[in-house]
Amino acid sequence: MALRPWYAALKEAANYQERKIHVHHHLKSSIFMASRNQGSAPRALVVEDIKVDCVILMHMLHKLNYVATAVENGKEAIDLFVEGKTFDIVFLDKDMPIMLGPKTVAKIRAMGATKVKIVGVSTDFGAREAFMQAGADVFVPKLMKLETLEAMLQVVISKKNMSS
Amino acid sequence: MDYTNLRRQIISMKKSLFDQGYLDEQFNQLEELQDDSSPNFVEEVVALFFKDSSRLLTNIEQALEKYPQDFYRLDSLVHQFKGSGSSIGALRMKNECSMFKAHCNDRNLEGCRRSLQKMKREHATLKQKLETYFHLLRQVGPPERAVNSWK
Repeated sequence: MALRPWYAALKEAANYQERKIHVHHHLKSSIFMASRNQGSAPRALVVEDIKVDCVILMHMLHKLNYVATAVENGKEAIDLFVEGKTFDIVFLDKDMPIMLGPKTVAKIRAMGATKVKIVGVSTDFGAREAFMQAGADVFVPKLMKLETLEAMLQVVISKKNMSS
Repeated sequence: MDYTNLRRQIISMKKSLFDQGYLDEQFNQLEELQDDSSPNFVEEVVALFFKDSSRLLTNIEQALEKYPQDFYRLDSLVHQFKGSGSSIGALRMKNECSMFKAHCNDRNLEGCRRSLQKMKREHATLKQKLETYFHLLRQVGPPERAVNSWK
C-alpha cells in the first residue's frame, strides 16, 4: 500500500469515528494511521514470562494507544504467527521458558515475517548481540521508561512507513 | 479526617522507604504511569509482584531441599524473582537476589540457604511496609493520589 501524504492521513484520522487517538495527538497519529492498517490502532505483541514486566509494558503500550497482546513464551508467539496473526511490533524478553527470545526472533524471521518490527528487551546488556544477530530491529535494556518506549516506537513505525 | 497530617505521613513514609534502601527510582517510574484511567495501577502491580514472588519463594525453597540440587533451575527461579522485584523498584530484594545468584554460581548450598532466609525476611518486611503505604494512600482517596502530590 502506497504511503499517503501525512496531511491526508491527518484528515482521515480526524474523520474516523471509532478512533481512540485524540485530535491533539494528530501528528503522532498521522504516523500511526499511515501504517499498513489505516484507521486502526497499531498492534503490538509482548512476549514476556515475568508477569509484572508484562503488565507494565502492556500498560505503557495502552497509554501510547497500541492494541497489545501478551504471551508467556516464544512458542506461544510462534503459534500466533502460524495462525496468521499479524502485528506491527513485537517485544521479546531474552530469558523465557520453552524458547529463548533470540531463538524466537530467528524463527519469526524464518517464517517470512520480515516486515514486523522486533524489539529485544533484557536486563542483560550482553543480549543485544544475540537479538540483533537473530534479526531483531532494536534492543532496549530493561527497565524501559515510557519516554524511551514512545521515542523508539515513533522511529520504528516511521522507518516502517518509509520502507512501505 | 486530617488530610494534611495524612499527606505528611505518606510523604514521610515514602522518603523513609527510599532512604532505607527498600525502594529505588523504578518505584517513582511506576507511579508516573498511574493516571485517572488506572488510579490503582501501582498497588495492583505491587500486589501482583507479591503474589508471584511468594510462589517463587516456595519453589526456590523446595528446589533447595531437593537432592541433588538443580542450581540451573534455582538460578532461573531467582532470575525471575529478581526481574520482577527490579520492575517495582524493590532495591533490597534485588540486591539479595544478586547474592543468591552468586551463591548459585559457586554451587554454594549453604550460601543459597542463608540468602533465601534473608530474601524471605526482606520480602515480608517490604510487603508490610507497602501495605501500610497503600493503606494510607487509600485513606486520602483518589483525587489526592495524583503522583506529583507525593514528590
